[in-house]
Amino acid sequence: MKGRLFLFVLLIAIVLPFIVVAGVSIGESKTITFPPTEFSLRWYSVLFSEPEWLSAMGISLLIAFSAAMISVSVALVVNYVLWRMNTRFSRFTFALGLGPFMLPPIILALGASLFWAEVGWYGRIEATIISHGIFLVTLPLVIIARGFSNLTDDIVEAATIMGASPWQLFITIVLPLITPYLLTGFVLVAILSFNEYLVANMISGFIVETLPIKIFNNVRYGYSPVVASASMFFVAVTVAALLLIARSTDLLALLGAPKKS
Amino acid sequence: MTGRSNGAYPVNSFVVRILGLTAFGILSVFFLLPLAYMVVVSFYKADPMAFYQVAFTWENYQKYFSSFYLNVTLRTLWSTALSAVVVVVVVLAFTAMLTIVELSRKWQLFWVILLLSMMCLSEVIVGFSWLILLSESAGIPRLLGALGFWDDPRSLSPSFGAMIIGLVTLGFSVVSLVLYPQLAGRDKSVEEAARTLGTPPYLVPFYVTLPIFRQSLIALTLTMFVYLLGVFVMPVMLGRPSDWTMTVMISDKALGDANLPLGAALAVVMLIITGALLLLSLYLSRKRTV
Repeated sequence: MKGRLFLFVLLIAIVLPFIVVAGVSIGESKTITFPPTEFSLRWYSVLFSEPEWLSAMGISLLIAFSAAMISVSVALVVNYVLWRMNTRFSRFTFALGLGPFMLPPIILALGASLFWAEVGWYGRIEATIISHGIFLVTLPLVIIARGFSNLTDDIVEAATIMGASPWQLFITIVLPLITPYLLTGFVLVAILSFNEYLVANMISGFIVETLPIKIFNNVRYGYSPVVASASMFFVAVTVAALLLIARSTDLLALLGAPKKS
Repeated sequence: MTGRSNGAYPVNSFVVRILGLTAFGILSVFFLLPLAYMVVVSFYKADPMAFYQVAFTWENYQKYFSSFYLNVTLRTLWSTALSAVVVVVVVLAFTAMLTIVELSRKWQLFWVILLLSMMCLSEVIVGFSWLILLSESAGIPRLLGALGFWDDPRSLSPSFGAMIIGLVTLGFSVVSLVLYPQLAGRDKSVEEAARTLGTPPYLVPFYVTLPIFRQSLIALTLTMFVYLLGVFVMPVMLGRPSDWTMTVMISDKALGDANLPLGAALAVVMLIITGALLLLSLYLSRKRTV
């Protein structure tokens, strides 16, 4: 019983800030006040009609989608090679892919910023896309590895004995079985990239203004309730994407919990 | 890895090797090379006109060891250590997850999605929402004022406390999600035995479960430390300038003052600290499995 009470208090602490932001976002007032006295959706209409907010949203979505493509492709290749060969080199490549999540993002961000400046891509959206794709690769790498470890030898052996080429084996057996893992990895990278601030800002924040960068700049230099509606937009997209994963896969098992009994 | 190529099926090794090399190349070029280049730049000379001048100098590191940045580092270490301690050692997440894994599967899913959302949500959004909640015009101070508990309600941020709240919020979801599979899949027989032998049920988590997970929790504390070391948005949004951490300094040097070599030197120091902590954490978790 005490445990439940504790969880309830935690739930309040997690959700309360967002309730207040939601309240601010549907208020009529031009300043940030809570509770709202009059309700209106004007801050949402500003968010979805002003070109600068729309462009930030578009840029963020483009980066998130492309970065997720890169991330999942690299993670798939690394896992496939590891599964086929299992050499020391392939294990090392896998370990290398775990690296970005172990380092504080500021180090990655500064390194990437210097690197892209030297290459001459500083301030280009491609630079942000590639760096997001590489720095977030750890997540799909680990998730897809779970998928490969579920592939049993007998299926593979059966297919091989029946004369499947490695390519046929991959297309007809491996790919269908790991698709849920690929999708989950894709969605998670897309969400994280969509929400990422530091790396995007260091690489090309002046020119490529993503939604988090725009919100942060707004908060730092005086802000209006549009920021609240933009934040709620973020919460909605993030939660919706996660619910989507939860619907299509066994999310708990995917995180490593024991399977449904 | 269960299915590996032990002769069960022919390895078309050429194509696979090319694929492996490509993946390795991509990771090296876009992950390792920038880090290496950053180390190189940290030895360059600062040049306000052109980012930097190619040179070899220890100047940036000397500057770093002058009192100012050393103080910042110490403060950073202290405040992140504090938050890491708050997050993990006070065992907020541990206690919460112990309860959550006992819930029905539906509620577990609810909590996991909630925690995942918290983990994925931009620091910017989480920071902003706390900023509003702690603000004079919309948050807790206003509520306390209206209820008559606070005569002169004032914004509670920026402050050190607000920054710590932000860091704890960030850390909590990550730690909980790491602990979730470990706690959900744990062997409960020892706890049951303790209960059968007469340990009061409310003491079992402290006497049995906690010691079992001790090493894993220590390793997690170190990981959390590294994670919170790199947080940028919370100190800037919720902390005072005197609370700003090393991450903020690095970013300020690189973007604000355009002194990239000094920023790089600071980042290299941070890289070394991180590396040391990770090795320590690895050592501790190795010990557990033996």
